[in-house]
This record gives sequence, structure tokens and C-alpha cells, in this order.
Amino acid sequence: MSEVLRKEVVYLITAIVVITMIADYFFGIKQLNDAASMVRTWAVVISAMALALGAVNLMRAHGNIVRKRVPGRWIYSGVLIFIFALTTLLGLLNINNPSTNPLYKWLFDYPYTSLGQTLYAITGFYIASAAYRAFRARNIDAALLLLAGIFVLLKNAPIGEVIWVQLPVIGGWFNDIGQVPAMRTFLITAAFGLLAYGFRTLLGKERGFYGEVATA
Amino acid sequence: MAYPTDVVGILGIWSALLLMLMIYSYPLYKENPFFRFAEHLFIGLALAIAVITAIQTTMRMAVTPVLGGDIVYVIPIILGFMMYFIFSSDYRWVSRYPIAILVGSAIGLGMRGVIIPNILTQIINTITFPKSTDFMSMFNFVYIALGTLFAVMYFLLTYEHKGAILYPTRLGRWLIMIGLGAYYGNTVLFRMSMLSGRAQYLLQVLRIIPM
Amino acid sequence: MSQGIWNRLQMIDRRIIYWVLFIILMIPFIRPLGLPVSITDQTRDLYNGIRSVKEGEVVVINISSGVSAWAECLPSLVASVKVLNQQKAKIIFWTSFVDGQLTYEAIVSKVPSFKERVYGTDYVYLGYYAGAETGVAQLAKDIRSVFTADYKGTPINQLPIMQNVNKAEDVKLVLSSDTGDVCDYYIRQWRVPYGVPVAEIGIAMIYSSYQPHYKAGILFGLSNGSRGGAELEKLVGELGDATTTMDAINSSHLLVIFCIVLANLGYLATRGKK
Repeated sequence: MSEVLRKEVVYLITAIVVITMIADYFFGIKQLNDAASMVRTWAVVISAMALALGAVNLMRAHGNIVRKRVPGRWIYSGVLIFIFALTTLLGLLNINNPSTNPLYKWLFDYPYTSLGQTLYAITGFYIASAAYRAFRARNIDAALLLLAGIFVLLKNAPIGEVIWVQLPVIGGWFNDIGQVPAMRTFLITAAFGLLAYGFRTLLGKERGFYGEVATA
Repeated sequence: MAYPTDVVGILGIWSALLLMLMIYSYPLYKENPFFRFAEHLFIGLALAIAVITAIQTTMRMAVTPVLGGDIVYVIPIILGFMMYFIFSSDYRWVSRYPIAILVGSAIGLGMRGVIIPNILTQIINTITFPKSTDFMSMFNFVYIALGTLFAVMYFLLTYEHKGAILYPTRLGRWLIMIGLGAYYGNTVLFRMSMLSGRAQYLLQVLRIIPM
Repeated sequence: MSQGIWNRLQMIDRRIIYWVLFIILMIPFIRPLGLPVSITDQTRDLYNGIRSVKEGEVVVINISSGVSAWAECLPSLVASVKVLNQQKAKIIFWTSFVDGQLTYEAIVSKVPSFKERVYGTDYVYLGYYAGAETGVAQLAKDIRSVFTADYKGTPINQLPIMQNVNKAEDVKLVLSSDTGDVCDYYIRQWRVPYGVPVAEIGIAMIYSSYQPHYKAGILFGLSNGSRGGAELEKLVGELGDATTTMDAINSSHLLVIFCIVLANLGYLATRGKK
């Protein structure tokens, strides 16, 4: 019985929800449409509540580091927990509109905004060194990649037009036409992949998202 | 945005700059305690905003309706709490129920949604004859039509490419390389825009250029 | 001898490249070049689509790009909103990013014409929606089942802008600002089933991914990161942050090309000799 509850019922619920969502699109049956709408609303609420899962998980991990006083790491974990606790507390003081708290607003307007932009931008350095260290025209495949890349670079930078007036035209061709077969192929094959994945889920063969190993 | 004149604002932009330099001390120098401090500070703040958003959204979407008498919203609230059994080794299976609803709805919506825009419309657009019949239009039409066919062949024909399909699939692979090259070019634009924004901020805080 | 130079060049410390890049990015801000930016069809179509919005029509701006992508997405969003304000459109902002409110506040602070518009009547920020594609699909069907109040907690039924708006058909068009695949959700759940025109204001990295959708007429416009932002600023007639960024893009792109060329010359010079 417990095995049925733990697995079979779960697969059945997944399949029913998948079929409900698909049927909702093709049939204008009020009860069906309302049921699909209700399930979607539930899913949105569950997703919202699941947002904090990552925080709980990280707090457990960093809490352990602090408790065990792991050398070289526990101080940083302490900083993380402290700033998390402080900011969450400030937010909870006025959960309806937390940004009315000046300190909460300050933390997000300055440190968070700056760190967010900075961390995301750090890859700019790596792409420059990758250009120097990794992009070699070792064969036709790599040469074509580099050629298209350089023309698009010179199209995106206004200086390309100053160097040679035809450069943005060529780069524009790669951007507008040249890349379409590849990108369209990715779209089509990914769609087929999604459909195959969906059918496998319907049949209970795709179980990775439950924390199980998928079966063939 | 003008250069701040109040203490809070000035403290804000300078702390933002300091944290930025702490992060960049990693690529520009090496791994160091300042970088790790700033990194952990960011994670703490990002987690806090996620938790606050989770509470706020749940309150508005589910708790408020329940308090207003719409008790059906108790179900998603219970399902939401069931997600947290994922941390229990004994009762982990309980979290599969909300996961079933999340995954089921996402897959169902994805399956019903991809067929028209991602498959049918793309195929129709690929084989639709261009309105203009000048050389470039015809060339582009043939390039996209045959190119897409060859690239799809390269992807979907998963057995060894030899015989009649050797050259079409090879051409398909080259066209994919061209596509990835253009993708790379646009990726460089993205990365450099981000980094230039930071370089600009440094100059603005130091008052070398106006904010 | 020459082979030794090439070998040494290929072994250059990556930090030297990082420092050169960071300095090269700063120089154009101090000494701007101000080179002209040509307009692509994708950006022009986006602009024309926004210009076609009539007074009182409702436009949704989906913010699915966080503060981290401001350099790429914010200029295009600001330019688009300037046009929408000129058209006296009603604007509904919402976000699928937890820090989307910061982006909304940044847009409002950078568009002076918001001072002449009334919050709640002419524009509103409804806040965060969870659930990714499920959330987007439900918004198309019933906005009130996802948002019961705006970000300040004002009940949605007390907002004049929301009086006759509750589903996809009530919306004239959607502008989605992305760093990922959220625009796909709007294509699948708004554009295809309800015919609502959708445009993408994304980071340059996903420009390639959405090009087939633009070519197929599914997206009515497409903005390519900061470059798209600079083009929109030119079309709007108010040069801003993206136009300034273009100078830094010139120098950084030339450096990247220089790196690729130098690396490949080194590769050719040392090939077969190792």
C-alpha cells in the first residue's frame, strides 16, 4: 500500500495533470477549463512556497559549517547567515511592502544591486581570455565558428561600419540569415525532445524529477 | 540619476563600489578573503529576497483568500508545505505530490504549446517561397530551407553518418557551427555590456564622469 | 626565436588580459567617440509595434531580467516605456524575478514622463508571479487568480487601470524582458492561443535563440541587448545609457578580435613544431 502511495499514485497524478493541461487547450468544456485553471493556480502557489527551499537548504549547509567551526569557512558562513537573518527580519517587519523600510531598501538599492551586476559581469573577463586561449581555427568547424563570430562582433560594434562599410552588412547576414538554420534546428529538435519527454512522463517512465533514476 | 548628496546615498554608492572591487579582486588578483566576504554577502541577500518574496506571494495568493472564506486555497498551502519533506530522508516521498502537480502542469503546458510555434510555424516559414525573387532573397531562401533540413538531419539521424547522408549531415554540422559563431558574437556583446556598465560605475563614483 | 615569442605570448598571464580589458572599457567613457548606430529591422519593427499602441490600450511589460542584466535590458525598457508614455498607453508591469521590483523602480526613475502619469490609473506594478510557464499561462486566463493586489498591497479591484483587464485578450501587446526563456512562455501561452503580439527585449546572448521566431513572424520585434537599446534610443530621439555603452563595446570587441587573431597567428606559427 505504501509503495502505491509513494509511487503509483504520484505517477497517476502527474499523468492526470498533464492530460488536463493538454485537454484544456483543445476542448472548450467549462468544467475542464475551470479545473485546469484551478490546478495552475495551485501550481503557482506551490512554486511561490518552494522559492524558500533553496534558502532552507543553504541555511542547513552553512549552519553546519558554523556549528563545526570549519577552518577558513565558518566566518564567511556566519556573515551569510547574519545578513540573511537581518534582511529577512527587516522584510518581515512590513511584509506587505518591505521596501518601505529604509535599511531594507538601502541593502537592495546598493550592495545587492552592485553585487548582482558585478558577479554577472565577471564572465566578461573570462570570455576575453577564452578568446585568447581557446578559439583556435584547428579545423573547418572551428574556422566557420570563428568567422561568423568575428563578423557578428564587428556588426554589433559600431566601429565595424567605420572600418569597412560592408562589415555590418556581412555581420548582419550572419545574424539575420546565417544562424537561422542552426537556431531553427535547435528549436525544432528541442520541441521534439519536450514532446518525447512529456510522453515518457505520461507513461511513468520519466522519474528523474521525483528524485528517482529514469527508466529506459 | 545624479550623484547623491545625502549621507545615506554617498555611503550607498561607496559601499557598492567597494563590494564591486572586492569581487573583481578575484579575477584581477587572486582568491582572497575580501572576495569571499562579498560573495557570501550577496548570497545572504539573494536568499533573503527569495524568502521574503515567497512569504509575500503566498500571503497574497493563498492566505488572503483563505481568510476571506475561499477555503479551497488551503489545498495548495498544504501542498506547498509538503515540498519541505524533501529534506526528510524518511518522508521524502511526501514531496513528490506537489512535484507531480508542478511537473505535470509544466509538461502539459509545454507539450500543448510547442507544436505550433516551435515546429509547425518554423517548418512553414522555412519552406515558404519569398515574396521577392531577387538573387539574395532566393539565395537566403535556399540557404535556410536546405540548411535547416541538413542541420536537422545532423541532429536527428543518430546512427553513423555515411553513404548518402554523409555530405548533407557534414554540411548541417558546418551550418550549426556558423549559428554557434553568431551566438558567440552576441554573447561577447552581452558580457562586454555588463562589464562596461561596471567600468562606467567605477568612473561615476570617482566623479571622473557624471553619474 | 620567433617561435619562442609566440609560445611566450600564448603563455601570457590571464590577469594581464583582464587588466587591459578593464582599462580599455573605461577609456571610451572618458573620451567618447560617439559613432553612429545603424538601425536593424528587428529593432525598427519593435519600435513601430510600440508606436502603434493607441491611447488607453493596455500593454504588459514582463520583467524577467534582474538587476544583473541592467546594462543590457534596462536601456531598451526605458526607451520603450518612453514611447508608451507618449502614446498614453496603460502599462502593467509584473515580474518573474524576485528582484524585479528594483528594475521597475529603475525604469520609473529614468523616465521623466511618469511624473505626468498617475499610478494605479495609467500604470501599475503588480509584483512577482511564481510558477514560470504555469504562472504565465494562468495570467493569460485570469490575472486576478495570480495577483490579488499590487506590490504595495492595494487590492487589484481598487486599481482603475485593472477595471476591464483580466485576461490575455484585454491586452494589446506584451514586451518581455528576458535573460532566459520566459519569452517562450509568452509565445506559447499568449501569442499562439490568444494572438497577443509579443516582442522580446532581451540580453544579446538570447538574441540568436529568438531570431527564428522573429523570422517566422511570431515575435513582432526583437531588441539585441545594449546594441538594441542604443538603436531604440536613436529611434526615440533621446540618447541614453546604451548609446554611451556602445563606445565601450567598440574597444572591447576590438580587443576580443585582436586576441582571437593573435592567438590564431600564434597557433599557425607554432603548429607542427611542438
